[in-house]
Amino acid sequence: MPELTTPAPEATGSVRRPSPGRRPSPGRIVAAASRVALADLRTVYTPLTWSVGWLGRIVTQVVFFAIIGLLLDDREALVRLFVGQAVMVAVVEVFMSVASTTWERSTGTLALLVSAPGPLWPVFVGRSLQWIPSGVATSGVALFVVGPFLGVTWTVGAAVAAGLTVLLTACAMYGVALSLAAVVLRGPRWRNIVSNVAHTLVMLVTGVTVPVATWPGWVQALAQTLPMTHGLDGVRALQAGGGPGAVGEPLLWAFLTGAGWFALAALGFTLFGEAGRRDGTIDLDE
Amino acid sequence: MSVVRTVATGVVVQLRQMRGTPDWFLALFTAPLTTAVFVTIFLHAGRGDLTAYGVLAPALIALWQMSLQTAGELIAKDRENGSLEALLAAPAPFAALLGGRVLAVVAVSLVAFAEAWAVGWALTGSPVDVAHPWVFLLVLGLTALAMTGWAGVMACVFVLARSARTFQNSLSYPFYVLGGVLVPVSLLPTWVEWPSRLVFLSWSSDLLRDALAAGPVVGLGARLAAVVGLGAAGYVVAHGLLGRTLQRVRRTGSLAHA
Amino acid sequence: MAATTSPPDALHLESLTRVFTPRGKAPVTALDGVDLRLPAGGVHGLLGPNGAGKTTLCKIACTVLLPTSGRASVLGFDVVRDAAEVRREIGIVFGGERGLYGRLSARENLEFWCAMHGLGRRETRTRVSALLDRLGLADRADSLVETFSRGMKQRVHLARGLVADPPLLLLDEPTVGMDPVSAHDFRALVGELRTEGRTVVLTTHDMAEAESVCDTVTFVDHGRVVGTGTPGDVRGLLARGSRIRVHDVADARALAGPLDLPGVLTTHDPARRTLDVDVEGGQDVVGQVMAAILAAGHTSVTAGPPSLEEVYLGLLGTDGDGNRRGMRVGS
Repeated sequence: MPELTTPAPEATGSVRRPSPGRRPSPGRIVAAASRVALADLRTVYTPLTWSVGWLGRIVTQVVFFAIIGLLLDDREALVRLFVGQAVMVAVVEVFMSVASTTWERSTGTLALLVSAPGPLWPVFVGRSLQWIPSGVATSGVALFVVGPFLGVTWTVGAAVAAGLTVLLTACAMYGVALSLAAVVLRGPRWRNIVSNVAHTLVMLVTGVTVPVATWPGWVQALAQTLPMTHGLDGVRALQAGGGPGAVGEPLLWAFLTGAGWFALAALGFTLFGEAGRRDGTIDLDE
Repeated sequence: MSVVRTVATGVVVQLRQMRGTPDWFLALFTAPLTTAVFVTIFLHAGRGDLTAYGVLAPALIALWQMSLQTAGELIAKDRENGSLEALLAAPAPFAALLGGRVLAVVAVSLVAFAEAWAVGWALTGSPVDVAHPWVFLLVLGLTALAMTGWAGVMACVFVLARSARTFQNSLSYPFYVLGGVLVPVSLLPTWVEWPSRLVFLSWSSDLLRDALAAGPVVGLGARLAAVVGLGAAGYVVAHGLLGRTLQRVRRTGSLAHA
Repeated sequence: MAATTSPPDALHLESLTRVFTPRGKAPVTALDGVDLRLPAGGVHGLLGPNGAGKTTLCKIACTVLLPTSGRASVLGFDVVRDAAEVRREIGIVFGGERGLYGRLSARENLEFWCAMHGLGRRETRTRVSALLDRLGLADRADSLVETFSRGMKQRVHLARGLVADPPLLLLDEPTVGMDPVSAHDFRALVGELRTEGRTVVLTTHDMAEAESVCDTVTFVDHGRVVGTGTPGDVRGLLARGSRIRVHDVADARALAGPLDLPGVLTTHDPARRTLDVDVEGGQDVVGQVMAAILAAGHTSVTAGPPSLEEVYLGLLGTDGDGNRRGMRVGS
């Protein structure tokens, strides 16, 4: 077919020229996307469903594991399983971001996001932030409210330090969850399977139920890359009576590994966008 | 017989619906890992004798999760596509359809028993022995039937109280504790043990553990009666609730704002 | 960049091809060597049936999809090489209810997209307020979008497409499902955008819409451009002569004799009681035809160029043997 050229319409004013480039700031995108997260949180939980339904479920999950100590008739095991699970519940909730990341597909905003000048990754970092405060809060209730009933007590200083450690651990594990989410975006129907299988694996290898040292070397090496291993070490140290200084090194490792996972997640989201452009899997109204 | 055919339809419809939707099989994906979690706890504590507990619990959890999920999903799906009112308008077929669908899921969830058993074998190097296979199979069958009845109760509750579905997620661990799926309820404080005896699962899990163990199963008849009685109670409650649900449909013409 | 004397084209496609390869299925060619230039400024319509390739073209233009071969540039920027620049220059709006955050207010939605386009805080505030005013959303600015009617959601969509003040707007089926009043308002707005000097590329299969707002129209079918130009030009693609429609013709036999002239073709539609007379000759023949009609006692007559709908039906309406489309109807 010959090249078809249409004549310019009669001028009705000056034609707009391209505007000078502006660089979108990832920080502001994260903040803007976190409002979506907050709105989702308000829809998913009401104060009643959160405090009775969700918190109740979480507390019984922690208790379920702690009472294995009764079966073993081993008080140390009870405390170990309780503390591990109390921190774990924050991670369980943070892993819900694997599913909530794919909600972006059902909202129909994906094509708009890809075609906007801003990078994709800060959107996803912001849009599932809601699980962190909720997860840290349930974990806090388990550690500091349920704990004393099971004989796990804290000094104020240790409690503050443990709370902060859980917060950092949850944030760092969010990076792990986002890395998985970047993959699951390609196959959203696997979202629940991936998040559940992944958090159960985390529970298995990071020292939540049995010490990391029980595992073969390669599993231990894998565990070292997960911020949970280090964060949990920190909380256990605090619970065993170590001063706030005891968490310094674990916190540093949790932070470093977390940063690595965030970088991987950012790369994953960018690659997802590029792959979508290549194979046409991003629909305009998707 | 139309009821039998409806149950069969329910089974087929359910299996078709599950095909290609991985979410339905979530419990089968996690059961092997949960087995590993429990069994390694026992191995680490030097209590290899408890492996049977660690193998049984994930399978019971899978059974519970999948039944509950059907109950919840069934209502939500039918409500979405507007067929719920029509289905409810014909009482017997609806109950049979519901029964058939739950039955299909319960049957699939039994795969978790095989998975857990295999993982237990792999981790300990020796398979968990089923000392009383007939008792085990009998209890398992009764448990599956009781589960179907109680899933029916849940389905009705989800219709009658819309907000109940928000709590669907929360019906997991509280019942794993009260159902004694891992830790026998007899080890719990009396104020927890007493209500847990009203949960058929607590009788089932105790019996299943005993059926795996070498010793004799004491008081089998009475304990089986407890499972049967509490399971039957589920069917009675489900039937009553279904009647109320129907009444509501007939009075208001819709469940839309139930 | 294109020539320096004139602004670069809004859209310049050279042999643009896109093939989709669904897993386990035969490849599908959505765009098949398309060449097209749409100048900057004005409203350009892309018309064609579902699956014609319009949306694929839009997706490539807005950098959501890469071409399989060929080139596409937007305002002089290549969609592959200069994707970042392209993204700064375009706004996208598509019809339907999706693409908005229902749990956020209209204002929050717009603020989000301002962040994605790198607008500063102060700029965001003024831009969002101005857009909410302009699109008549100021009253409901802080209500959740999920509570909005379809027409209002569509206005939020348009506002979203305009947050970056883009010189080029891609509108993909923007009025799908809109009520007539909203659609009318929408067309008025497109007119305003044109007056502001923006280029608007609009896909639609609503011919009345295309007729009322487009400066140029391009017909797309089976991944190819089958006709392009101003509405006047494309009418020429359909019929070189004039069409006269005689109304209330129950029986056309009375007119058959007088209208048996060279270059004149009649089509009687008994259901609509109309007789269409296509005249290929000059004004003298038209005069002769008119005289004959009046002489036969028919006074209810309309004459004029074919509507875009007729052109559309003529070019794309008959799915005879694939890509070779007849340009002439009634011959």
